[in-house]
Amino acid sequence: VKALCAALAGALLCAASAAAHIGSPNVFFEGVAGAHPVRIVIRPPQTFPGLAQADIRVTDSDVTGVSVKPTFLDAGDETTPPASQATPVAGDPQLWNATFWLLRRGSYGVEFALESARGGGRVAVPLQAAALARPVMPPALGATLVAFGALLIASAIWLAAAAASQAGLTPGAAPSPRQRARGRAAAGVAALVSCAAVYGGSYRWQQMDRDFANALSKPLPVEAEVRREGEQNLLHLQPTRDAPVTAAWDTLVTDHGKLMHLFLVREPDHDAFAHLHPVRRDSLRFDGMLPPIPGGTYQLYAEVTHEDGSNETLVTKVNLPPPSGAALQSAAGPGGGTLCLSPSSSPPAGADQPSALDFDDSWHMGVSSSPQARSAPLMGGGRMEFQTEGPLVADRDTTLRFAAFGADGAPLALEPYMGMFGHAALRRSDGAVFTHLHPAGSVSMAAAEMLARRDGNASPMPLASAATAHEVEFPYAFPQAGEYRMWVQVRTGGRVLTGVFDVNVLERS
Amino acid sequence: LLLGAIAVPLTLLWDFSWESTIGVDRFFGPPHAANYLAVALAGGAALRMAVDATRAGVGGVALGRMRAPLGAWIALWGALAFVAALLFDRWWQSNYGLAAGIWHPPQIAKALSYFAVLAGAWIALLGRQRDTRGALAAALAAAALLALITVMTTAQSFANRQHSAVFFELGCAAYPLVLVAQCVAGRLRAPASLAALGYMGIIAAMVWTLPLVPASPQAGPVYNALDHLLAPPFPLLLVVPALALDALLRVFAGRAKRGGWASALEAGVAFFALFVTTQWLFSAFLLSPAADSGLFAGGGRHWPFFLRIEPSARTAYWDFMSPSLDATGACLAALLAVLSARAGLWLGGALRGLER
Repeated sequence: VKALCAALAGALLCAASAAAHIGSPNVFFEGVAGAHPVRIVIRPPQTFPGLAQADIRVTDSDVTGVSVKPTFLDAGDETTPPASQATPVAGDPQLWNATFWLLRRGSYGVEFALESARGGGRVAVPLQAAALARPVMPPALGATLVAFGALLIASAIWLAAAAASQAGLTPGAAPSPRQRARGRAAAGVAALVSCAAVYGGSYRWQQMDRDFANALSKPLPVEAEVRREGEQNLLHLQPTRDAPVTAAWDTLVTDHGKLMHLFLVREPDHDAFAHLHPVRRDSLRFDGMLPPIPGGTYQLYAEVTHEDGSNETLVTKVNLPPPSGAALQSAAGPGGGTLCLSPSSSPPAGADQPSALDFDDSWHMGVSSSPQARSAPLMGGGRMEFQTEGPLVADRDTTLRFAAFGADGAPLALEPYMGMFGHAALRRSDGAVFTHLHPAGSVSMAAAEMLARRDGNASPMPLASAATAHEVEFPYAFPQAGEYRMWVQVRTGGRVLTGVFDVNVLERS
Repeated sequence: LLLGAIAVPLTLLWDFSWESTIGVDRFFGPPHAANYLAVALAGGAALRMAVDATRAGVGGVALGRMRAPLGAWIALWGALAFVAALLFDRWWQSNYGLAAGIWHPPQIAKALSYFAVLAGAWIALLGRQRDTRGALAAALAAAALLALITVMTTAQSFANRQHSAVFFELGCAAYPLVLVAQCVAGRLRAPASLAALGYMGIIAAMVWTLPLVPASPQAGPVYNALDHLLAPPFPLLLVVPALALDALLRVFAGRAKRGGWASALEAGVAFFALFVTTQWLFSAFLLSPAADSGLFAGGGRHWPFFLRIEPSARTAYWDFMSPSLDATGACLAALLAVLSARAGLWLGGALRGLER
C-alpha cells in the first residue's frame, strides 16, 4: 500500500539532492537557542521515508522541554508537520533525544524549540537528507530468500499439475493417462511461468538498483585545469561536459563570506594542503590564483552552498606544475620542512608573495611531526596541541579541542578567521571521508544564518565560543574507523597557521 | 477462511488511509500488524482444512500423506509466499525505501501472495456451497478478490481518472474474469451481483468508518491538512455490470445454449458498455459538490496529505496523466473485457466441476 501511496506522489519523490561532506552524513551543530547553549547531532536516515534521530545536549538545567519540527524547505512552513517531543535520556540530565520522520530526500530546516522559565528559545539547523550508498543484501537473508523461492516454485509447479490432473476427479478416483498428461503440461507451463517471473523480477531489481545508484547523492562532476598567466598559475574549475545541463553556479550564496571554499591535498602523501577561495567568473566557472605550493597531483574538494540551503562538496583532481616566479616565503618551522603560509599584510622580510590572493587563503607544506603525535609544529616556532582526551571512537560524539602556543610556550591569542575561531579539514586516509568543520559544527553557516533570518531568530552561532582565547573546539563524531589526517587552521597575529595531526579512530565496540 | 480473506482488503484499505493521513508506519504499525493477522487467519484456516482432510484420509488433493482441498493448498501457498515477500520487503524498505521505484520486486511478490490467498479462499469456498450460507460465503470471497483488485489499482481508480483509457482497460481486463467465473460457479440466483454488492460493501464500510478516527500527518511536507483518517475512494459500481452478467449467463443462458466464445462476446461487451457508462457518469457525480459528504467522500476534497494538487485539478479529470478514453481505447477495453469474460467462463466451468 505504501507503493500505492507513493504512486500518487509520483515524481515528487524523485528529486535528487546534493551531498555535503564526503562520507560524513551526520550533522553537528553547536550554538544557541535563545539564551540556551545547545549542541545538536542529527543522524538523517539513508532511506525515505525514514526516521531521523537527533541528540540535543542542553547545559542549562532550567530547560523543561525540547521539541523538533522538520520543514521541507522547498515546500514551505505551512507544510510542516506537528512537532515531535524530545525525551530526556535516562542517566544524563543534559541530553535529550528525538526521532522524526523524513518523507523524502532534500533540504530541511530542523527547528529545535526549547522550553524554559526564561522564555525558551528556538534554533533551526540545516539538514540535507540523501541516500548515499547502494544496498547490499546480507548473505544469510539472500540464502533464506533463495530457499523460500525454490520451495515456492516447486510447490507452484506441483499445485498446477495437481489442479490440472486431479481437481475434477471425484474423491478416490485415479487420474486417467490423459489427465496425467494434462497435469504434466500444466507443470511445464507453471515451470516456464516461474522461470519468466524469476527472470523478470531479477531484471526489474537490477534496473531499479541501477536507477537508484544513478540517483544517489553525488556531487556535481567538475574538472580543474591550471593555466599559466605571466608568472602566476591560475586554477579554473568548472562542471565537466557530461554534467547535467541544469548545472550552474549562479544560485550560490556565501558561506563564511566566500562563495567557494576550495581545499587542495597533494597525493599520495597528503604533505601539501591549501585552503583557497576562488572567485566566480560566470555561472559555470570559478577562477583562483594558486599559491606557491609544490607541483604534483592534488585532490580538490570544493564546498559550495546553494540559495536553497543545500551545500555540496565537489571533488576532482588536478596536476599542478611546480611554482615559479614568486619565491616561496621562507619561514621554516622547527620541523625543518614545515611551511605554513598565507597572504599577509606584513609579509616576512624579503618574502615575495603572489598578488591577487584572497586574504583568507592559506596553505601548508609538511606532515605532522610524528604519527599520532598530540602536538604539531606551527610556523614561526609555535605549536598546536590536540587536547581531546581518550581514544577516538567511530560514531561517538566528541569534541576535538586544540590549543595554540607561541615559540615561547605562551598561549597564542586567536583571532576570528572567516567569522570563526578555527576551521578544520578532516580526511580519512583512503579518501572515503572528507569534511570541513568549524566550532559551530558541520552545518553550512550560510544555511544556518538563512534559516535564522527566515524564522526571525537571532544568529544561532555567536562568535564568542566556550573556548578560551587560545583554544578552539569542533563538535564531531568520526563516521568510520581508520586513520585520519586533520588540518586545523587558526589565525593569530594576522596570519593563518595550520596544525597537522594524524589520528587513529577505533571501531565502536 | 472467509474472515481472513475479507480482512485482507479491509486492512490494506486501512493501511492506505493510514499512510495517506499519518504518513508513516513501522513494520508492526497497527494496519500492517492487522494485515499480517488477516493473512495468518486465512493461512491458518487453510491449514486447518488440510489437517481435517488429512485426518479423514479421503478427498482433497494429496501431497504424500497430506491432503487438502485445492483452494486450501493455494491459500497456503499464498501465505508462505507472503512470509517470503515480507522478509524481502522489510529488507527492501530499509535499504531502498521508496526511492528506487514503486512496484519493486517484493511489492509485486506481496501482491501476488495476496491474490493467491484470496483466490485460494474463493476456490475453497466455492467447493463448499452445500447451502445458501456456503454459497453466500463463496460470493463474499469473490467480493474480497474484487476489492483486492481495486486496492491494487487505487492509483488508477481515483474518480479523477475514471475517464481515462487505462482505467477502463484495467477494469475490463480484471473484473469480468472474477465476476463471470463467480457467475458460472456460484450456486445462488445472482452470484456475480452478490459478489459485486459484497465488494461495494467491503470498500464502502471503510469509506464510512475510517474518517471517524481522528488522526493527523506526522511527516512533512503536508500539502493537505487532515484531522481524521482519509476515506479511500468510493467503490466502483460493479453491481450494474454484474447484474447484466447474471442475467446474460444465468437467466438467458438456459434458454439458448451458445458456445463459450459467443457467451464471452455477449458478456464482455455487456460488461464493457455498462462499466464504462456507469463509471463515466458516476465519476462526474463523485467529483461534483453533491458528493462532498461522508457517504461518498467525493467532491474533490479528500486527498492524501502528501499529494500536492492544484485546486483546479481536484475536481477535474486528469487527462494530463493518461489520455481520455477514445475509439482505440474503447476497442481495446472491449476486447480485453471479452477475453477476460472468456477466461472467466473457462475458470468458472473448471471451478463448478471442482471435486477436490
